[in-house]
Amino acid sequence: MSTGIKNLVRTLDSVDFLKMDRRTFMKALGAMGAATFLGTYKSEIVSALEFAETKLVWLHGSECTGCSESVLNAGNPDLVQALQKLNVNLAFHETLCAQQGIWNDGKLVNTSELNSEILLEDLYKEGKYFLVVEGSIPNGPDGSGRYLVIGNKTFKESLGEAAKNAIAVIAVGACACWGGITSADSEVAKDTDYRGVAFAKEDSSKGMLKELGIDKPVINIPGCPAHPDWVLLTLGAVILGKIKLEDIPSVVDDYGRPMVFFPPDHTVHENCPRRGYYDRGEFDTEVGGEKCLWKLGCKAPYSHADCGIRRWNGSVSMCTQAGGPCIACVEPGFPDSSRPLYVEREDVGIAGTNIDTVAKVAVGAAAVAAGVHAVRRMGKGE
Amino acid sequence: MVNVTVDPLTRIEGHQRISTEVGADGFITDAQSSSLIFRGFERILQNQDPRDAAFLTQRICGVCPLSHGLASTNALDNLYGVAESVPKDALMMRNIFQGLNMVASHATHIYVLFGPDLANPAYKKVLTTLGDTGNAVWKEMVGRFAPISYKMDGVAVPVGSSYLAAIPEKKRLQEAIALIAGRMPGPSSLYPGGYTYPATVADITKLSSYYLQVMDFVSKHTLKVDFNTWIENTYKASSPQKAVSFVTEHLTDLINKSTSSNDFSKDAGWGDVEFYAAFGSELVGEKILGLPASLKHDTIGGYKDPSKICFVAYGGYYKYKDGYDPKSPAGDRIFTSGVVSGKLEYQKFDPEKITESTAHSFYQNSVNDLAPAKGETVPLTDPSKIVYTGGSNSQYSWDKAPRYDGIAGEVGPLARMLNIKEPLVTGLAQAFNEKGYSAANVYTRMLARMQETAILAYELLNWVTVDYNPNGKISVPIDLNAAKNNSGMGLWEAPRGALGHWVSAGSDGKVTNYQCIVPGSWLMSPRDSKGIPGPLEQSLIGSKINPVGDVDYTNPVGIFHMGRSYDPCISCAVHTIDLTGKNAPNTLRIL
Repeated sequence: MSTGIKNLVRTLDSVDFLKMDRRTFMKALGAMGAATFLGTYKSEIVSALEFAETKLVWLHGSECTGCSESVLNAGNPDLVQALQKLNVNLAFHETLCAQQGIWNDGKLVNTSELNSEILLEDLYKEGKYFLVVEGSIPNGPDGSGRYLVIGNKTFKESLGEAAKNAIAVIAVGACACWGGITSADSEVAKDTDYRGVAFAKEDSSKGMLKELGIDKPVINIPGCPAHPDWVLLTLGAVILGKIKLEDIPSVVDDYGRPMVFFPPDHTVHENCPRRGYYDRGEFDTEVGGEKCLWKLGCKAPYSHADCGIRRWNGSVSMCTQAGGPCIACVEPGFPDSSRPLYVEREDVGIAGTNIDTVAKVAVGAAAVAAGVHAVRRMGKGE
Repeated sequence: MVNVTVDPLTRIEGHQRISTEVGADGFITDAQSSSLIFRGFERILQNQDPRDAAFLTQRICGVCPLSHGLASTNALDNLYGVAESVPKDALMMRNIFQGLNMVASHATHIYVLFGPDLANPAYKKVLTTLGDTGNAVWKEMVGRFAPISYKMDGVAVPVGSSYLAAIPEKKRLQEAIALIAGRMPGPSSLYPGGYTYPATVADITKLSSYYLQVMDFVSKHTLKVDFNTWIENTYKASSPQKAVSFVTEHLTDLINKSTSSNDFSKDAGWGDVEFYAAFGSELVGEKILGLPASLKHDTIGGYKDPSKICFVAYGGYYKYKDGYDPKSPAGDRIFTSGVVSGKLEYQKFDPEKITESTAHSFYQNSVNDLAPAKGETVPLTDPSKIVYTGGSNSQYSWDKAPRYDGIAGEVGPLARMLNIKEPLVTGLAQAFNEKGYSAANVYTRMLARMQETAILAYELLNWVTVDYNPNGKISVPIDLNAAKNNSGMGLWEAPRGALGHWVSAGSDGKVTNYQCIVPGSWLMSPRDSKGIPGPLEQSLIGSKINPVGDVDYTNPVGIFHMGRSYDPCISCAVHTIDLTGKNAPNTLRIL
């Protein structure tokens, strides 16, 4: 996906988007930003959905609101415009909507226009919504889920209610996907027992829905935070029916991530703005320079995401461009699999290979393409 | 007596419950503020490379990740012994991106989190009985501040004009941060000894262009008087009285123009700041300006006993010189450290005076009220004991109760503005105090946030276009061995208030202790071992659940305002730390 992007966008400009087959559609998603996608096809989308209104229920578990913040940073269109273009009703979002839980002497009062708990009960009853989950779910202590209680209910319980009646679940951010930072190794991890919606770290047998005995299609949009394009374009594709529920397994990888944004055969490293320095074997060893960050612990060669092409916040930059190492925040083991952040991966666990020597030699096209993966294989004697 | 509980208090960061006892007159007689979540956060830094902390603690909060990143980086500068030699241009980069984040965070609070409550139907009920003027004011409130997906009486209400316009501005500010910090949220550019990315001349040009676009939003929506005129006559005013007079005279002019027409629109000169400044306060709007009604936000969220509250600032934003003092003595930073008493007396800030109580939090301690660095906290792990309904004498929150010299401390924009003696906010606080109101209330808290946003916009332009030198030095190398058996303290100001990170490393240079005391802990804290309520609880007790109109237990809009006026951040407030590490596997330290 690193080549021909611009040509693809140009070609797609003249195609009837809604008649596209799924494969071309998915390619288009990868190639285009949310702005291009939603902007170009606005009228088609609206007419296709005519009067049909898609409801989104967005729940926050144990999180930092970073993913909501990120989605609020969606470019042109911004979130409000995108919702309008997709004809979506954001029926509930804890940080954005007017409602809150209101109780008098322990009983819910007022109406769904002001009371979030009544609104959610109504929405669950009606069903037919897509559930977006941001944040992880504590299973602890002792399977009680009581390390997060909202509106007198454990979040574990609320997630179950919401998921049961949802059409499908979109897990947004590392926490909702795999437990993220809340499930990082520590001595409290066994007490808190944080889970993602469908995974606990790399383990799909310990996802919270499985724990609750609920079987629902789940799409994972990881990242710490998730990129707004990944979220809006996935929502767009699902709402338009371009990703049908039965299609999900064929468009996502083993970890439930849409392959179009998290390609199994592509890493952040391949389109890193500092890639040229890597190819020439030039590395920074102190921060503040402009060369490859490999020796400062950059994990871009292990990170399956299109950050290098898409970049962040209106495409102005990305982590490595600003001189910070990639921390592979889209990977299911994050943050444990990325720590220590500033130490070369080869120094951490994999049998020693002198990356300096190899990278300096690796100027031939083939070797460059193989990159660090080749280095690793050589190190293991393959 | 009715128990009125707001659970969850939404439109904040994280999950919070406010439980109150309310009399027949609508006044709150008792209140508990409960944080509903336990994440076990800082424990993950244990036995790790200290440098990871600046990245990972940013995940405490997605709204102000930079503040955690910076408090952490300050602690690491101190740990590696380089705080005094961080190059001045690196410090300017840190100032710029923190300044942009604070402006974005305040804009989000004012428009997305707090603003929607101004479109609450309770105000419709009151204002529309006041004839043409009341109707015009209500039309403006709902037309500016209605949130997304809003309905009233079954009818969909269009998104407010100011709300709608603020979202792209917030996005633009985040984009400006990303330009020099990689991305937002979760930027990658902080490292002890300096900064990872030197902004180029081209970046500075772009930053200036972002600045102009944001100022365009300000002039169209926020402040209709010329921005520089405002700054000259408030922030730069020669006395608090002059700043207050400038604002009341400006508002009087507007009132005079609008009396006959009942036109309170932006076109008629009523920016959002002018609108709230005039109608938010009883003292200003009704008594000084002669308006027929006000929202009476100055009557709620105040402190009844000034001896039990103070206003704490650790100090933020470096001056343009190489290095800084990690202890943040008074005068070392642009926003100085300091403590202002409940009676508005000034003192120097001393970090040694901070203690923390867990008497009413979900922990089981042998000793209480210790300094944070020596604290002890063991959380409840019996699920049946994690209940929020036991009342003021029970354990009812995951939040601990930090105290300064034994009393509760308000942190945040109001505390910062008082500590720097900002003329407008100081003048308003003094005026309220003299007239028998609490100096701190929902109105002064919101105006302080608005004023701080303006001041930062002013300072930012200076940092970007005057101070920062794109050819300057951006970092000094650190020696990893310097961390061995050493410790560091990072004192900083997050948008929500004073933020401290403390780090210690062992003989292998790995973290043995990592600890944060965050604004949310100060603001939302439960009672302490002496039974003194935290700032939010103090401000609730004695306030009315409906500042105007009839008592309505089912729509306690006053509680919404009071809770949200602090801009609560619960994810920040609740996290674990470990002081004793692997030697005490069952001992958790929680703030």
